[in-house]
Amino acid sequence: MNGKKSSETHLSRREFLGLSALGLGISLAGARSASAAPPAASPYDVAILYDPVKCVGCRACQMACKRWNKLPNESTDPLGIYESPRDLSAITWNIIKLRRTAVGWHFFNYQCQHCTDAACVEVCPTGALSHDPMGFVALDREKCNGCGYCTQFCPYGVPHLQIADILTGAAKSAKCTFCQDRLRSGIGGPSCAEACPVGALTWGKRGDLLEKARARVAELQAQGMNARIYGENEAGGLHRLSILLDEPEQYGLPSVPKTPAFARAWQRIIQPLGNVAFGAALAGILGVFLFVRRKIRMEEVR
Amino acid sequence: MTVQLKGRAEAITIQWIPKYTTLERAAHWLHTATFVPLAITGMILYFPFLQPLAQGPAGMTFRLIHRVAAVIFGLLPIVYFIFQPRRLILNIREFLPNKDDIGWLKGAPAYYLLGRHEAMPPQGRFNAGEKMNGLIMIVAWFVFGLTGVPMWFGKGIIPPELFRWLVVFHDLAMIVSVCMFLVHLYLAVAHPLMWAGLVSMRFGVTSAEYAAEHHAKWYYGPKRAMEIWEAKKREAAQKGGH
Repeated sequence: MNGKKSSETHLSRREFLGLSALGLGISLAGARSASAAPPAASPYDVAILYDPVKCVGCRACQMACKRWNKLPNESTDPLGIYESPRDLSAITWNIIKLRRTAVGWHFFNYQCQHCTDAACVEVCPTGALSHDPMGFVALDREKCNGCGYCTQFCPYGVPHLQIADILTGAAKSAKCTFCQDRLRSGIGGPSCAEACPVGALTWGKRGDLLEKARARVAELQAQGMNARIYGENEAGGLHRLSILLDEPEQYGLPSVPKTPAFARAWQRIIQPLGNVAFGAALAGILGVFLFVRRKIRMEEVR
Repeated sequence: MTVQLKGRAEAITIQWIPKYTTLERAAHWLHTATFVPLAITGMILYFPFLQPLAQGPAGMTFRLIHRVAAVIFGLLPIVYFIFQPRRLILNIREFLPNKDDIGWLKGAPAYYLLGRHEAMPPQGRFNAGEKMNGLIMIVAWFVFGLTGVPMWFGKGIIPPELFRWLVVFHDLAMIVSVCMFLVHLYLAVAHPLMWAGLVSMRFGVTSAEYAAEHHAKWYYGPKRAMEIWEAKKREAAQKGGH
């Protein structure tokens, strides 16, 4: 009995390595792959450029968006005489609002900013939100299960949930898709930009639009306006570029979109730590099980 | 009760003493029957490799299961409190840490791994491990509820900053409680020394001999338990000395 004791009561090297591998395997199985890192914004990506100085507030963009995406009308309260409806929603993906900035009241168009470093894509557990190879943030409504993480993590408050039932949680996320179906099937560019009669909203290659925007900013600055480009570097580079006439905050846009850092802390630190804990717990339990099975005889237990 | 064990000549007699009420056992098993599906359906949004299960109608079905289970999970302790408040308070009191826990921590490796009974000082109705399980599950119940209900009904109403923290704390409670659950499951189902635990939870009784051995301070009372423990130690020291 004594001679066999060491081999019977201690885990063999093979078992120990096996258990360690099991723990490591469980930890890694849950890890998000490194390839989830967003691609860099390329000058060949498609993008939209908005110039508020050219905008006359006709809302053709808003109408074209509704028509192409078959979005129903939204009833609005009568206080919103300048803004109808009041804000982006699950059925309004493009909207003209009035802002008061350094140059006075003027129109400003809001839609998805199509970040390169998109918090919504990062937190989406279904893969419904993704980076299209053309650069914009695409939404596959078939894959969406309505968890709503995107609506809570977007630094611009763009995605909205279309809630069918608050109790069961049946819902779908909704946001501007850059008219992904138009671009993918080659019909043309985003309907808002194609509908704009004054060239305030234009679309094209991001590199070209940036060049155009820089020239326009220089022109506006020469006229004495404090103009700047928004979206060149924000959140890894936006695919909706805007010319601003004041600080971003005056437009309700964050000068440093911060949410991705938080999403990263959650999914890249807390969740991996959790996976290590699960792996350690399972491997530990299995190790103890194998050890105890040999060490404690049921017949001797009271 | 007399039991004839295989491979033993004489029958052994087990004296059973009550440990849990029927409601407690029902609550425990309903807690299990909801905790497991809650953990599984929740992990679908947690583990990236389960992504196919999270997509579209499947994801919505799992969310519905999660919510139905969550309602039962949330109501159980409330029902328990309504019908047996004194039992609930008694149990929570016995979950609170005390000096015995230090002794348990010191004795645990030799006791659980090698089966050395003499290494474990007398414990109360719950030992430190059971207390840890109980307290973690109680705290997790509050965290799951306080974070889950606003996530269910407050989406779009509560500030997004708050929502993000709710998600994080819901995750943390899940990580801690699932690890605790795995250890609890192993000890209850597979550890040879803990055989009476599953019997107690199924039938509400425990063997008197088991209680005297594992929960001496509960069985004999704290004073008598310590006397017996000291006497045993002296006896062992004398034997070792000669």
